Amino acid sequence: MSPIFLVARRDYMAYAGSWGFWLSLLTAPLIIAVLLFAPIFLARAEPPRVLAIVAERASDVAAVEAAFARNALRDARGEIRGYLAAAAPDLEAPVIEAFDAAPDRQAAIAAARAVVAERAPNAVRAFPSPSPRYQIVAAPAPQIQALTPYLDGTRTLASGASLYGALNIRRDEAGAPVIEYWSTALNHDEPTNVAHRAMRLEMQREALAAQGLPPSEAERLQGFDPQIVQFDPRTTTGESVTLRERAPFYAALALAFILWSVVFSVANMLLNGVIEEKSNKILDTLLTSVSPLQMLIGKLLGVAAVSVTLFLFWGALGGTLLTMAADRAGDSILGQIAAAFLEPRLLVAFVVGFVAGYIMYGAIFLALGSLCESLQEAQTLLGPVALVLAMPMMLITPALDNPNAPIIETASWIPLFTPFLLLVRAPSGLSWIEIAGMGAMMIATVVLLLWLASLVFKAGVVDQVSLSSLRGRKAKG
Amino acid sequence: MRQRTQGRALDLALDPGKPRYSMEAALEAEGLVKRYGARTAVQDLSFRVPKGSIYGVLGPNGAGKSSTLRMLVGVLRPTAGRITVLGGAADRETMKRVGYLPEERGLYRGMSARAAIAYLARLKGTPAGKAFKRADQLLADHGLGSVRRKKVKTLSKGMAQKVQVLGAIAHEPDLIIFDEPFSGLDPVNQRVLEDTIRAEAAAGRTVVFSTHVMEHAERLCDRILLIAQGRAAFEGTVRDALALAPAIAVVETDGEYDMAPVLQPLGFKWVEELGEHGNRRWRVTLENGHGSRQLLQACVEAGAPLSLFEPARASLHEAFVALVGDKVAVSAAE
Repeated sequence: MSPIFLVARRDYMAYAGSWGFWLSLLTAPLIIAVLLFAPIFLARAEPPRVLAIVAERASDVAAVEAAFARNALRDARGEIRGYLAAAAPDLEAPVIEAFDAAPDRQAAIAAARAVVAERAPNAVRAFPSPSPRYQIVAAPAPQIQALTPYLDGTRTLASGASLYGALNIRRDEAGAPVIEYWSTALNHDEPTNVAHRAMRLEMQREALAAQGLPPSEAERLQGFDPQIVQFDPRTTTGESVTLRERAPFYAALALAFILWSVVFSVANMLLNGVIEEKSNKILDTLLTSVSPLQMLIGKLLGVAAVSVTLFLFWGALGGTLLTMAADRAGDSILGQIAAAFLEPRLLVAFVVGFVAGYIMYGAIFLALGSLCESLQEAQTLLGPVALVLAMPMMLITPALDNPNAPIIETASWIPLFTPFLLLVRAPSGLSWIEIAGMGAMMIATVVLLLWLASLVFKAGVVDQVSLSSLRGRKAKG
Repeated sequence: MRQRTQGRALDLALDPGKPRYSMEAALEAEGLVKRYGARTAVQDLSFRVPKGSIYGVLGPNGAGKSSTLRMLVGVLRPTAGRITVLGGAADRETMKRVGYLPEERGLYRGMSARAAIAYLARLKGTPAGKAFKRADQLLADHGLGSVRRKKVKTLSKGMAQKVQVLGAIAHEPDLIIFDEPFSGLDPVNQRVLEDTIRAEAAAGRTVVFSTHVMEHAERLCDRILLIAQGRAAFEGTVRDALALAPAIAVVETDGEYDMAPVLQPLGFKWVEELGEHGNRRWRVTLENGHGSRQLLQACVEAGAPLSLFEPARASLHEAFVALVGDKVAVSAAE
């Protein structure tokens, strides 16, 4: 069996047998799930936030209250649709029709529930009980200053509830509304935004009335929404750009970020691996059987296999969940993104960019690790390396905006940037010659870097050259 | 095709009239030089290790032993000189037939003892099944059968060192190179390792080891290379080395009698040892043209209360001191 494979296999087994590996494997999806779903659960578990509205004009209070009511209705509709997609997709049309026909929120929820109860009695047990996020109450005092004890928690409302915030809508000399928001939680700005939209509509209504036009026209005017259609001149069909055309960009962007995170996540593993072997004093034994270059490649493969295992597991888990979600929603986003990966030009660019990028950066980390005596010393190197790694990421957004800008084209031929820019520029129509040229350059760079890294590696592990010894020489010199 | 000399070496070993080893070379070094920057670690070193022999590379710490052995196994590249290993270049293919125990020892701490041995054997080209079988066998033979599945990090230092020794021989190499194999072992395990080295040589393998403890070499080696300050001070059989040592006399005096005033005027060097029954014992190197007769005469004239006076066999250390001088020998002891 090849020594490279044996080195790779040992490194892989060492990582795969560690607690850290299993913790990463299992906790990452859990953490992502918690991050995704916790806000939803928290929002559902939280009782409605109590708001009071004070205004000089009763019409302003009515306008803002109506806006909050519209939002609560929209949220309830969305929650019921989400429930239907999961529990009774066939009933979506009749249930939503009943919901929309009802005069108010409570009636809408009751109507929707009645349709489900009638047509799918088994599913009705899981029917949601949407709760509004805000409860608008009558202000306990007519002036905003008098509400301060309620807002700072000194007093509670007659119902026993605490007042979360208060909106004070006054008019300036010109009659324009000024919205004051009083709360101890000013970071949460949704009430202000709702009030702002409501008052803008109110101002439009007033302006129309002043011109002798019906105020109700304001709602109609807000409904104006021009359609945007995009075209790509390279498409032969002349059809508008859809998700199918955008999917390669999303895929490229995702791959560039995955490459970046892989390089960063394996950096520690590679550094630790070499330093562990140096401190274990095992390298002299190994180097009679394995050349420094073979060792370097073996280690890169071993750690790559660890990353592949993690990503395959996470990818399979995420893919399964997304597929289930997409199927239920009757969507084909995943299919379109998957199809994007299968376009030969992109596939080649992805493989070259991803593999060469990993080997290039991995070899640099291994070579640096071989020069370090301790993990502490290695950590000091990660700072400058992180800065270097941040540079290609800074070019990704400009590259997506204008993939053929001269600076992006030039940077694409600098090995440090090539893997990322090759990935990001590939969907914008790189020619086969450009892909082949960059591929050849990357392969040459990787070969050269591996050779140089093996020399540094040999100097580090065999001749005991280290950062401290180099610093010592420099000081003497 | 791989040639093995096991049968021939055993034949030679059974014939008391012939040396146990073959005259064919397992290892040859010619004009070896190793420089680290401005410092020269090894200077113009030439020697030849016969096949099937036990060969000792001796010298004080920092003499250049480890650099020499690391060059022999291809870990270090010589600044100058030529090395022939098992009849060929010291390349990775040849190294599959060489077992090496470095001075700086270590194993993967998370591996079991058997996995560590098998891993080292597999890196040398032994198939997986055979490597594990051999690891189990070696561990059982060396009294480590009960810890074969234990992780290296749970083993004592001595046990871990034995595991590494076994890892160096698990692939049944033709040439075994051990760098300071006895350091860190207790006396019992040193004896066990000596037996292992003898067994490997008896099986026709060539064993080269370095040490700064001359007694091991004296007990084990067919031939030795004495290195001091990177240069060869002697190369030959242990008997030839001992022949170069000056004569020794052991004098024991009753009670607290001090022999120094008797020995100093004759220019003798001596080492004081603990005698029997509370007596003082003096191990005297006879030199400067004076022999045991002059020493005895001086003792009688001084009225020394002698309880013992006998000529003794010089040790390899004394031969080494005679060859390289006091200063180097003292640095050896340090």
